[in-house]
Amino acid sequence: MNLPVLPTTVVGSYSMPGWLERLKTEYFARRISRHDLDEVHDAVTKAAIKDQEAAGLDIITDGELRRDNMIDYFVEKLPGVQIDRSSKKFYYDFYDSEVVGKLPAASLGLVEDLRFLKSFTEREAKVCVTGPHSLVRRIRNRHYPNEAAFAADIARVMNLELKELVKAGTRYIQIDEPYYSGFPEDLDWGVEVLNALVEGVEAKTAIHICYGNRYGKPSWEGSYRYLFPRILQAKVNQLTLEFARRGGEDLDLFREFAVPFELGVGVIDVKTQAVETPDVVAERIRKALEVMPAEKLFILPDCGCFHLPRPVAFAKLRAMVEGTHQVRKELGS
Amino acid sequence: MILYVNHTRREAAAATANEIVSTVLSLLGEGHLEPAQFARLRIDLDWVQYKQNFREPVMVTRESGQVPGRPSVTELHIDSRQIPAGSLRESLRCAFSNLNSEDQCVLARVYLEEFKTFRSSIAWDFNRLYWHRLKDWEQASGKSYEAALPGGKSEAHDPGAIADSVADFWTLLRDLEVQNQLPPELFILEIGIGMGTRAGLWLDRFRALDQQRGTNYYPRVRFLLGDYSQATLDRSRPAVSEHLELCSFIVLNALDPIKTLSFLRHKILHIHLTNVYDNLPDEELVRRDGHIYWLQVRAYLSAADAARIGAECGVSAAELPKTISRLLEIGPECLADRALGVTLWQEIWKAVRLQEQLVDADSLPSSSYPEGLDASNLESMLRDAPSDLRFHLSSGALESFRNTLPLLHPRGYLQVQDIFVTSLGDYRMGFHGPGKLDGSIVNWVNGVLLREVAERFGYDLHFAPFHYRPGSRASVLYTTRRE
Repeated sequence: MNLPVLPTTVVGSYSMPGWLERLKTEYFARRISRHDLDEVHDAVTKAAIKDQEAAGLDIITDGELRRDNMIDYFVEKLPGVQIDRSSKKFYYDFYDSEVVGKLPAASLGLVEDLRFLKSFTEREAKVCVTGPHSLVRRIRNRHYPNEAAFAADIARVMNLELKELVKAGTRYIQIDEPYYSGFPEDLDWGVEVLNALVEGVEAKTAIHICYGNRYGKPSWEGSYRYLFPRILQAKVNQLTLEFARRGGEDLDLFREFAVPFELGVGVIDVKTQAVETPDVVAERIRKALEVMPAEKLFILPDCGCFHLPRPVAFAKLRAMVEGTHQVRKELGS
Repeated sequence: MILYVNHTRREAAAATANEIVSTVLSLLGEGHLEPAQFARLRIDLDWVQYKQNFREPVMVTRESGQVPGRPSVTELHIDSRQIPAGSLRESLRCAFSNLNSEDQCVLARVYLEEFKTFRSSIAWDFNRLYWHRLKDWEQASGKSYEAALPGGKSEAHDPGAIADSVADFWTLLRDLEVQNQLPPELFILEIGIGMGTRAGLWLDRFRALDQQRGTNYYPRVRFLLGDYSQATLDRSRPAVSEHLELCSFIVLNALDPIKTLSFLRHKILHIHLTNVYDNLPDEELVRRDGHIYWLQVRAYLSAADAARIGAECGVSAAELPKTISRLLEIGPECLADRALGVTLWQEIWKAVRLQEQLVDADSLPSSSYPEGLDASNLESMLRDAPSDLRFHLSSGALESFRNTLPLLHPRGYLQVQDIFVTSLGDYRMGFHGPGKLDGSIVNWVNGVLLREVAERFGYDLHFAPFHYRPGSRASVLYTTRRE
């Protein structure tokens, strides 16, 4: 499938309805069954797919509404990680989890999610996974000599899964590593692990780095300067960053450094319910075009739409698509 | 009949409870009360600690309308502190006759509004007038609002509390600096600043600590003093005169700070409020037999009070409601003689009462709930609460809280010094407002609801007793970030 210039997509998650939050919490309180919750997940995933299509996105995800949060969905699936299931009061809470032995290789179940997604859309399908660095920052390590070794082993297991995803038909894989911003001192080994994770994965790979979106607010503040120049060693195709909320100051880094990647530019602030106008979106894209040619630019929100009410999320995505159309016209495409 | 004793004052409860039971049985025997009404009757025995409040000694609260298949709720509220000796029998007889018809006991009132939620009542217009025309009130009463507070002075100024607050803030800055995350500008916001005394003392203390430790944070501080009254902001300047170059004076609505300060979203490291939440518009909910009811109120004056005040201020009884509307609109100038206008204001405020009725929550639109709360999450919050409960929704406090949190820096924190209910069971062991404090309204704040709402916004709330002043009923709410 040929994509237009300035392809539009989401960072991963779509709006989590309040009623689904309550249902998920009911599940953890053992008031509804896993079977019922799975059926609900199927239904909301279909709705999220259709909303993304209706908004006009070029590349879509499954909305990630099966996931309680960006960590636990993987913690639950990583073999060898032990979980205290009583540690969740609210579905969005993180599990207390720890690794006590070497991780065996096993399926993480993402291929089933991809197949479900592809069965309900003709659009390009993207799969987003939480990266090893972010995972080791939430899982207590009781086995590996250090976090870097633990992350490297997660990368080994996940690499197999990513290759399976490619076989199952995805051409777009995004690695989410927001914890880089909280632990910039880890970046050296973080990039090594990232490279191991994507090695031999025959898809367009992107790394998404933001300042956190836990409960719809940032977890850290600062500047993306910490990424440079180390991130330039990453063997991914695309760097996806948060610019809408923070202003475009960090775009200057792309003048300063010869960046080998495409840029996924965040043009929608997902930490406010105020809906951007297409004009505002277009202006943000034009700013990005000052540092990156159109053929290397992807258009996204700053992060997942998880915490936005559904009408707001939809309106923001519509505005993103319309703003992108404006700029495409200006570019003559 | 069920008698609930909602306080723990043994002697007052024992005397009144005995008298109530025997009086009700006597009135039942005399036919003043139907047996079916007796069977469903609920009597709440309170001890209202606020000398000035909105209640009659005996008050009837009934359900508005009737839900098919469900007996309607009827309650009597008796204030064992207010009830004059020897008057209980007549008050109860009058209350029982009101259950059946609108007789003269009810009609001897001058109503100032229709039934509405407490938040929409003109009681809050009086509260607003007080803060906007504080000087007029203080001049007439001869004492400042701080002197009218319990204890005669504000707990906001306590040196020990300020020293601890400064130390906490300095520690945060140090942590951020160690992690190389210290912002160039260090924003602090105080909302509801009074005379600016706390802000001044806080800055004095911070400057001293900063100098003592040689950290040079002080020049980077940006202290925002926020209040909804420009007059108050102007009065606060002298208190921070030594730090003016660090201070900004900002008119803002405590219900919606982010509206004014949106340019500081995720930037403010510390936000502080003292005794603001307890004075924000509020509502009460009632749970009876598993059903939720909204409490609606209607402000009124007793006919006797209306006649007395009218005579004193030269306003006829017929003109009084209109004159009160003008008072709330333009202030004491509603009367040609301004001083008499202040007298009218103070006397009306002293005399105004609130009639109550219960409205089935299912009959009201879901938009009645403040943002961040709806019927289903309220239900889940109440899952472990006592089944019969009357509690504050603290809708103004919730609104303020919700609209303040987005200002916080990822490592920032909010501190609120106020009177909080931290366990829903406490609502059955004491009166928590509304009361009148000088010319304003005071309500305890429902900390349990705040805590639940905060969790959804990624914060844990903690309440610590205000231990700096013995006997204080205040607590300090502070936030920590949920991981």
